[in-house]
Amino acid sequence: MPRLPLGDAVDSGVDWLLAHMSWLFDAVKTLVEGLYDGLDAVLTAPEPLLLAGILAVLAWWLRGLAAGVLAFAGFALIDSLALWDEAMSTLSLVLVATLVALVISIPLGIWAARSQAVSTAVRPVLDLLQTMPSMVLLIPAILFFGMGVPAGVVATLIFALAPGVRMTELGIRQVDAELVEAAEAFGTPPRDTLFRVQLPLALPTVMAGVNQVIMLGLSMVVIAGMVGTGGLGGAVNEAIGQLDIGLGFEAGLGIVVLAIYLDRMTGALGTRISPLGRRAAAKARTTMWTHRPRAAVAAVGVAVLALAAGGLGLAGPKDGPAKASATDVGKGREITIGYIPWDEGIASTYLWKELLEERGFEVTTTQYAAGPLYTGLATGRIDFQTDSWLPTTHAEYWKKYGDQLADLGTWYGPTSLELSVPSYVKDVNSLADLKAHASEFGGRITGIEPSAGMMGLLKDKVLERYGLDGAYRVVDGSTPAMLAELERAYARKEPILVTLWSPHWAYSEYGLKKLKDPAGAWGEGDGVHTVARKDLAADQPEVGAWLKDFSMTEEQLTGLEARIQKAGKGQEQDAVRTWLKEHPGLVEKWVPVPETGEKSRAAG
Amino acid sequence: MSSRLEAEHLYKVFGRREEEAVERLRDGADREELRADGTTAAVIDASFTVDPGQIFVVMGLSGSGKSTLLRMLNGLLAPTAGRVLFDGQDLTALTGRALREVRARKISMVFQHFALFPHRSVLDNAAYGLAVQGVPRPEREERAAEALRLCGLAGWEKSWPDELSGGMQQRVGLARALATDADLLLMDESFSALDPLIRRDMQDQLLTLQQTLKKTIVFITHDLNEAMRLGDRIAVMRDGRIVQTGTAEDILLRPENDYVASFIQDVDRTRVLTAAAVMDAQVRGDEADCGCETATPDTPFTALCALGARLPHPVAVLDGGRGLVGVVPRQRLLRFLGESQGALPAPATPCDRGEKVTARA
Repeated sequence: MPRLPLGDAVDSGVDWLLAHMSWLFDAVKTLVEGLYDGLDAVLTAPEPLLLAGILAVLAWWLRGLAAGVLAFAGFALIDSLALWDEAMSTLSLVLVATLVALVISIPLGIWAARSQAVSTAVRPVLDLLQTMPSMVLLIPAILFFGMGVPAGVVATLIFALAPGVRMTELGIRQVDAELVEAAEAFGTPPRDTLFRVQLPLALPTVMAGVNQVIMLGLSMVVIAGMVGTGGLGGAVNEAIGQLDIGLGFEAGLGIVVLAIYLDRMTGALGTRISPLGRRAAAKARTTMWTHRPRAAVAAVGVAVLALAAGGLGLAGPKDGPAKASATDVGKGREITIGYIPWDEGIASTYLWKELLEERGFEVTTTQYAAGPLYTGLATGRIDFQTDSWLPTTHAEYWKKYGDQLADLGTWYGPTSLELSVPSYVKDVNSLADLKAHASEFGGRITGIEPSAGMMGLLKDKVLERYGLDGAYRVVDGSTPAMLAELERAYARKEPILVTLWSPHWAYSEYGLKKLKDPAGAWGEGDGVHTVARKDLAADQPEVGAWLKDFSMTEEQLTGLEARIQKAGKGQEQDAVRTWLKEHPGLVEKWVPVPETGEKSRAAG
Repeated sequence: MSSRLEAEHLYKVFGRREEEAVERLRDGADREELRADGTTAAVIDASFTVDPGQIFVVMGLSGSGKSTLLRMLNGLLAPTAGRVLFDGQDLTALTGRALREVRARKISMVFQHFALFPHRSVLDNAAYGLAVQGVPRPEREERAAEALRLCGLAGWEKSWPDELSGGMQQRVGLARALATDADLLLMDESFSALDPLIRRDMQDQLLTLQQTLKKTIVFITHDLNEAMRLGDRIAVMRDGRIVQTGTAEDILLRPENDYVASFIQDVDRTRVLTAAAVMDAQVRGDEADCGCETATPDTPFTALCALGARLPHPVAVLDGGRGLVGVVPRQRLLRFLGESQGALPAPATPCDRGEKVTARA
């Protein structure tokens, strides 16, 4: 069977689109970003509890008192979990994605309902969009729209498009043919037949489609979080990446609250705007809990709360004036650091966030998987990252994007890759010993992200060199999952074989043995490089120079890692600050202020 | 009196190469031959004329093409060949917009399953045609309410279609059709979905309305009794062709071929009919004054025939309170008898024959 170069064709198609259609993508990006920013600004402007009140009044109006109370409780819960900004960002993202999806899908659904040819043509496309794994849509979305909200919105809306089209088409086709014929028999023009007969009767089904669009959008939010949309999806992603069960649950709960609220509200809205639904609702018995205020009362309620929110916003404290000092090199310039949730990556990233903020830069840090991270650097959306393992581990990415990146040199090295076992596992000291002990480990090697360079090396080279191919299976997973597995096995004193690398805090946390590599299959150790976008050194010469000169000793790095590990999730920067206080002089060494008159003025 | 509605050699063929199929039908090919090629001839060479104020019934079994024929009359289906002339205007030559205009103002339609809009109130349903015409709301609501009143639905304007019984829903359908003041009313098996008693009510109501409104009506049915009751003229369709056109008496007494004859033969009404169904409710008031034998509304048809044979004048029908409710002239007996008997040689003493027939049946 000849190999069909379909993937290559898609690749070059994407390249062509990038080269020739960028104006279109830029336009879409501008539009989506504008919508998102506007909505997010509106949603985050008022005090959280006031907006919760507004949302609760809407729920009260649409569904009844019980729904209003529950909505308020749900949003208050989000606020009390300190996830309010994330939740509003997610809400804006979903609403924008839904809006754009509906603007596309409802007319398309109507067209498909009226033309069999369109319906036939659209159906396989919808199948493709709906079943194509969403991650696959994410990478082109980054290429076209860059990291961040627009890529997330586009990936979300593409994913959520299908049910909107399908349900609209279904709803219209389901309308009794005799009713359509009756409309025609009385001389109704086609447009009026659509708007006076077909759409009103299809409305419940169309609204079910809208509901599905929103729900799918929310379910896509977590995946969109991988391209740096932030919000609850970003929080969930970070939590997964760092195996922070608590934060993951909290952020997940936030998504659930949003999902339930949006689901019930769109359902109720469907009832409100459909004449048939209104009648059914009017017939239903009213209790105190299902009591609904009249529209006018609800509008007044919302208006009062909104005015209160606006008033508080005006009276609220303004940001203090920017601090002006001699060490203010950045003067508020923005720097974006991306990182992979590897421990030395987290440590060095937060170290640099602290250092650069100390020098007056506005620093944003966002966690990514390795693929999106390199894509983001290559497209210039991310300024730099500190955790490139070169030349071996990240060789694949360097091969693909190397010419679009600037290597700012190693700051730590050499590293080593290895397979490790707990020290209580006897008789296994070298990779050569593994073959005889396969059953002891259940034939499993607990691996990390399949995208990681060391996984490729392990599967392609190391196993073969030591004849382990049949005896062991490499289990793909993630670094946190591997570490969790290690911790579990370690606590029960069970044998376990994991992929690990040095430096790593696990070596100080547990008693572990690095298996010797007499054949040198792992190759030479990597250096940990700082990699920046091509023009960073030109745009921000100070930052470029600092990064180039940066280096850490093993003692410094493991010490900082351990400090961060102990401080826990969300306290990284505080841990860095404390650590820097304990090691005076490092700040001046790593980010020296240029030798100009400013320095003497600061001194004087 | 000029013809209001004229159908000239209408053909409707569904499928491939329609024009060619029409040529073959003109050359004498039949439906089966075409079906082998995957084309369906729904209506073949249908011609008729309906005078103003007439009820023209098209009767046929399902699949005979009668609904397709009806839909060509208002252009919902475009004829493959032939012309429809209404008021001297050739509907088949009109553009879509002009045709819609004709449908909105001059032709309205009543459907088998009512086809009321479930999202509109009874009043809004009745006013639908006027809304399409662009009549301002106060005027159209007034006219719709008037149409509902005519159909016996005064006071139900604010109700919703699904709150009404089938019969009442069809009254709304009728009101919707009448509200536009269209001259031509197309009724597609409009009473078939109703149960028999309601159906009879609706037929009576239609006849009553027709006495004052004098619409031109084309009524589709598969029910012979309905055709006989309503039709000034009746066309019998079979396999896409009109096999006979004529008055009820023509069809009953002079069936043109075996198919029509067998159609009529199938019905033996003498066993179920009573004086109430047969009698003429239009009475002078003095028919029972002669002291002769009378019937009650429950008197069976056979007994009625015996009475009719003994009396020199129409049989008077009295209700429980001995009030005169109707009369049964001999001609009426004959007409109903015909339904069960097919062709009869206009006998001098029909009831004798009738008794024998009944005895035999």
